[in-house]
Amino acid sequence: MRSYRALIRATARAALAYRLNLLLGLGAVLVQLIALLAVWQVILAQSPVNGFTWPQMRAYLLVAFAAGTVVSLMGDFRMAFRILDGDVALDLVKPIDYQRARFAEAIGGLWIEVVLIAVVVGVTLALTGGVDVPAGPGLALFIASMLLLVPLKFLIVYVSTLACFWTQNFMGVQWARLAVVNLFSGALIPLAFLPGWLATTAQWSPFAGLTSTPALIFLGRVDPGHGLVLVGVQLAWVLALWFGARLVWQAALRRLTVNGG
Amino acid sequence: MPIVEARALTKVFRRPDKGPGLAGSVKHLFARRFQDKVAVDHIDLSIEAGEAVAYVGPNGAGKSTTVKLLSGILVPTQGEVRIDGLHPQRDRMTVAHRIGVLFGQRTQLWWDLPVAESLAVLRDIYGVDPATYRKRLARFDEVLELGEILTVVGRKLSLGQRMRADLAAALIHGPQVVYLDEPTIGLDLAVKERVREFFRSIRDEGTTVMLTSHDLADIEGFCRRLVIIDEGRIIFDGDLEAVKDRYARERILHIETARPVPLETLRASLPGAQVTVEDSPLRYAVRFDRFTMTAGHAVTALAGLTDLVDFRVDEPSIEDVIRRVYSGELVLG
Amino acid sequence: MRTVRLYFRLLGAHFRSLLEYEADFLILAAATVLMQVVNIVFLAALFAKVPALNGWTFWSVLMMFGAVALAEGVGSLFFDGMWSLAWQINRGQLDYFLVRPYPVALQSSSAAIGINGLSNIIMGAIMIGTALAHVDVAWTPWLALLGVVLLISSVVIKVSINLATNAVSFWLASPTPMFAFAMHQVGDLARFPLTIYPLALKAALGVVLPFAFIGFFPIAFLLDTGQSRWIGLLTPLVAAYCAGAAILIFKRGLRRYESAGN
Repeated sequence: MRSYRALIRATARAALAYRLNLLLGLGAVLVQLIALLAVWQVILAQSPVNGFTWPQMRAYLLVAFAAGTVVSLMGDFRMAFRILDGDVALDLVKPIDYQRARFAEAIGGLWIEVVLIAVVVGVTLALTGGVDVPAGPGLALFIASMLLLVPLKFLIVYVSTLACFWTQNFMGVQWARLAVVNLFSGALIPLAFLPGWLATTAQWSPFAGLTSTPALIFLGRVDPGHGLVLVGVQLAWVLALWFGARLVWQAALRRLTVNGG
Repeated sequence: MPIVEARALTKVFRRPDKGPGLAGSVKHLFARRFQDKVAVDHIDLSIEAGEAVAYVGPNGAGKSTTVKLLSGILVPTQGEVRIDGLHPQRDRMTVAHRIGVLFGQRTQLWWDLPVAESLAVLRDIYGVDPATYRKRLARFDEVLELGEILTVVGRKLSLGQRMRADLAAALIHGPQVVYLDEPTIGLDLAVKERVREFFRSIRDEGTTVMLTSHDLADIEGFCRRLVIIDEGRIIFDGDLEAVKDRYARERILHIETARPVPLETLRASLPGAQVTVEDSPLRYAVRFDRFTMTAGHAVTALAGLTDLVDFRVDEPSIEDVIRRVYSGELVLG
Repeated sequence: MRTVRLYFRLLGAHFRSLLEYEADFLILAAATVLMQVVNIVFLAALFAKVPALNGWTFWSVLMMFGAVALAEGVGSLFFDGMWSLAWQINRGQLDYFLVRPYPVALQSSSAAIGINGLSNIIMGAIMIGTALAHVDVAWTPWLALLGVVLLISSVVIKVSINLATNAVSFWLASPTPMFAFAMHQVGDLARFPLTIYPLALKAALGVVLPFAFIGFFPIAFLLDTGQSRWIGLLTPLVAAYCAGAAILIFKRGLRRYESAGN
């Protein structure tokens, strides 16, 4: 455990050095926030759509922004390059678990992401008006959901990065992941707007936990009972992916030894 | 008219004077401080067509910067360059046809293309007609032995292969002036020798060559003119042989005798030479000026005194002279 | 003419090595298509509940998305090397470009083929084509010709902005094109009607970095949407201005080029 704590601390200290990567990764998420805020402000100025009012949609988009920013510093690029260069072999000889080590790094970078989220949310609210915070149980569920979001996002990024053991092209995999996550998490548009079958698929996919679940709970669009189920789904996916990722890793290692790095 | 001419050529590099880390970068935004480094300082140089010039100096003296200025890669801070009377930036396209440049530290080959394809792309960029191209390639092949490497992709070449291919690339358009900047760096002796032979062949065809190297063995037997630069200034520009005559006139005769001979006896027989004992009492070193005494004279004189078992003459190379200049031990003039 | 022919010669030289990584190409192409499909699903879902956005219908916004995708696609397929300019400057790669008798900017931009641009061009063309089939425009030969001119202009604008923002690397010392990439992302804002944004953003996207001329203004003219549709007619002028400015910035930058120390 001690070595992972050390890794968290080391990443936390190094986080500032990666600030440019962070800002770059943040750019796309921030641009999407600005564009969608502008689009919905115009649309919702007249009347609510699908039951969303302007303040609600604004809160929804801010949650989507926060979810998009968290765990973007994790260094999936670094991990990908180490796999592609074969340097990953050096990581294997260290007496620590690869998956936990990467998770520790993701946690270490969180603080700077939280600072950025606070700044952007603060500025947005100052410019466009306040936001209603949900009451007791709703708030507790929201916090639980946001906490689960961290391992969930980490695992989705981690598993997709492991694809580098099979393909040389990390960029393509990353783009595909971003596109799928953007749609199925509800970050681009709330799932309620999608056609029924697509909404249902997305709802039960691991991606819904990345935006839709915490956002709907925050807005109070689901009652606490339903909210509990959604958070339960999030948790189930975290567990499933945690162990599923180990299977992928095992397969990747077999490939590594077959190919000799 | 000289084919390469530089007047009062000066290049000052401006480096931001930043503190360390983020704080330093932010501070720099508000209080911009710079540090000026004069890399080349008022250099005057003119090279006639067909001349072979060695341009030498210690590391960081400004050799590469001069080459980059003379080829139009860098814009001078002050002064000017003319290639065949043309301005290297204003007439960049015309000048580009007339010059060829090789930076030993850096390749111009395409990393993802086979050497033959890289050369073919260059052929098309320079608009070399197919017949001339084939003829040149065949000639390069004779000295550089390109055959085996033509099908190899740029990134897979060894250093020696890369340098040979890069030499072909720098000369494929038949330039009138060629700048070779450290063309033998990192090469093993066999490849070095082949590459040097190639320099001599292009020199003999009348190409103007400026050779920059810190391996001084590159310049011996290659050029007549020597230019030495130090701290951005030319400290010597003149005939290589004349430098040798003037500063490399000392010869050392090493002898081994059958029996010990008193030093005084040896000294008396060789007035004007310095005689010292070497690592064993039977070995002596005799230093003399080759203009006042010949090695043959010295050997004959000594052979009359004692039985010579062995002897050897050392002559200082241009390398020794220039090394002494670098270290400040010797001032040429 | 020789310049253009030579450009394709330089670009084409990389084609064979590109084919060596066929699987990579497929993944990249699939990812690009996927991104555009997600965009289309998003627009369809949005406009299923909302008839129009400031007078812009699903088809007209789809056409803007298509125009941006197409311009971006041309940028990556034919001029992807621009994105390596920061790296080329940092590693002194421009040294050899400067001693060859071919424009330095074109040597830089032809240094790579962004094969994913191909799928963006195809997707963009499909989006524009489908949208055109569903909108009501009184086509005349002249209008059709004008449409082609506008399309070419919008591509020129995108490529010029890419060149100009990448040329900023001559001033910034970073080996990665941070600034250009950030501006490229800002450009995504211009896929929506400019009228939805606050004044400052309108000015930024309409004047400072005229991304709005890639899709919004010319399409507003063609589809007769919104006020001041005549601004769309300025697109070719804006394209000429952008190209001129980009070349100027590049040339100014080139004078600052200091090569790389050994």
